[in-house]
Amino acid sequence: MRRLLASEFLKLRRKMIWFLIVLGPAGVIALQAVNYGLRFDYLMKNYAGDPWGYLIKNVSMLLIPALLMGMTIISSMIATLEHHTNAWKQTIALPVSRTKLYLGKFAVTTMLLLVSTVLVLAGTVALGLIFGFELQALPWDTLLIALYGAFIGALPYLAVQIWLAVTLNNQAIPLTVGISGLVLSMLMINGSSSKNWLPWKWPYLALLEPVFPVAAGLAASAVLYLLGSLHFARKDVG
Amino acid sequence: MTDLVIETKGLTKTLGGRNVVDKLDLRIKRGDIYGFLGPNGAGKTTTIKMLLGLARPSSGQVRLFGRSIRKERVALLRKVGSLVEYPSYYGHLNAKENLETIRLLLPGVRRSRIDEVLSIVRLTKDAQRQVKGYSLGMKQRLGIAAALLGEPELLILDEPTNGLDPSGIIEIRELIRSMPGQYGMTVLVSSHLLTEVGQMATEVGIVSKGKLVFQDRLEVLKGRSRQQIHIRLNDQQRAFNLLHAHGFKAELTDGRLYVPKADDQRIASVVRMLVQQGIEISRVEEEGDTLESVFLHMTGGEGGL
Ligand SMILES: Nc1ncnc2c1ncn2[C@@H]1O[C@H](COP(=O)(O)OP(=O)(O)OP(=O)(O)O)[C@@H](O)[C@H]1O
Ligand SMILES: [Mg+2]
Repeated sequence: MRRLLASEFLKLRRKMIWFLIVLGPAGVIALQAVNYGLRFDYLMKNYAGDPWGYLIKNVSMLLIPALLMGMTIISSMIATLEHHTNAWKQTIALPVSRTKLYLGKFAVTTMLLLVSTVLVLAGTVALGLIFGFELQALPWDTLLIALYGAFIGALPYLAVQIWLAVTLNNQAIPLTVGISGLVLSMLMINGSSSKNWLPWKWPYLALLEPVFPVAAGLAASAVLYLLGSLHFARKDVG
Repeated sequence: MTDLVIETKGLTKTLGGRNVVDKLDLRIKRGDIYGFLGPNGAGKTTTIKMLLGLARPSSGQVRLFGRSIRKERVALLRKVGSLVEYPSYYGHLNAKENLETIRLLLPGVRRSRIDEVLSIVRLTKDAQRQVKGYSLGMKQRLGIAAALLGEPELLILDEPTNGLDPSGIIEIRELIRSMPGQYGMTVLVSSHLLTEVGQMATEVGIVSKGKLVFQDRLEVLKGRSRQQIHIRLNDQQRAFNLLHAHGFKAELTDGRLYVPKADDQRIASVVRMLVQQGIEISRVEEEGDTLESVFLHMTGGEGGL
């Protein structure tokens, strides 16, 4: 597995992917900096009781759409590396099981996106400190749940994107599905809580009540991942 | 147990309701250079994909080194190097990086092997350039280098001379020819051109419309090519009658006179007799069924050269 990952990361050399992995978090943090910069006094007065909590909420509202977008784009870029010259027929003819290759694609995408969330985490803390919030008052649990609860809540979405991107030559399909999902999830942010079973709401639920979205996210992504992997393992290579 | 490196039994692939590969029984022995021939769309690539486990047979089975590819794909593929259809590569990486992505997935291959295979296909000079800037022939060489990387016991090359210039074709042909002797490899090489395969293969399999229409040693195929002697002279009809009267076989088609190919002495006596009878002979030449026309005949005339 280590060599498989080394091979996958080598394929990313000189690609835009690393740039996007940094650009996304930078965008999220920069927008929050602008948000606070424009109305700093007003926000500070209204949320004086819990400045960190409010900052975390603001960051996560931007992070989630950016994360869904990232999952769509990065998984498609990772798959395009192989589709482009139909390198699948070369890779799959190597002595590696297909389920392992599938795991490799999933793992690389997940690791890249985790790098992005770590950058967002660091950026959020830095932003708070710049604003003069007290480090001792930082609610680490809230911050971690907001970021990684959302990440786990979005894993089923990633499992579907990887499956579509890897098994279809035409990347217009995973991109369309991914962006539609993103729009759908944004429309649902303020929907009634009776619709919480809808997977598109899960990433946003983490901030309010993490147990359900984390459990549901893990279960649903495991099932979707296995189905995708099984399909990939049985599929003929074009 | 015979020493069959590739054996298929009733190998069939149905695509779009048609058997594009139809009950193929391939037998390729250790050390063979097996020329896998057929016109466009005969089913060569589809067959090769099934040999490598890239596609599943609709029915029938594939055995490599006597073991089932379905059950032991990963272990068997370690001993196989392949290039299917056109070459695959990562354009943004250079040749060394491309080969490294593959080497990482081949257990037990040293890093220095990358330089070795690059020099075998003469890409050392361009090894640090991004592959998207390569010519088609250079990409093809890189694909062959990738196939050789794991020092395979079985090399499967699907139209490896595609896109190569004449000197490149000769180079690759020589390389393939040296494989069994130098590295103990068995090679399966597909092509549409019998003349090309005829210069390197020891065994030949011909497919047409998914069916195997010939499989044997190259010499057997060469034996089937019916050579004739064409004699150009001033009076075909009289010569024809004379030949028959003297007990020689002859044939008159489209105003051209043919006698069957025979040893020099017999042809000499045909010529002497005709000249003595006052016939003026201007040309005596070998003609007729070349390997290529045998091939065209077997594959129903369509496709080929
Ligand atoms: N996915 C598919 N669906 C339907 N028919 C297919 C499919 N893939 C291939 N075929 C058909 O299968 C036949 C065999 O194709 P294949 O690529 O194996 O031929 P080939 O012998 O390699 O030809 P070439 O010399 O042109 O490379 C062709 O008639 C092709 O149209
Ligand atoms: Mg082909």
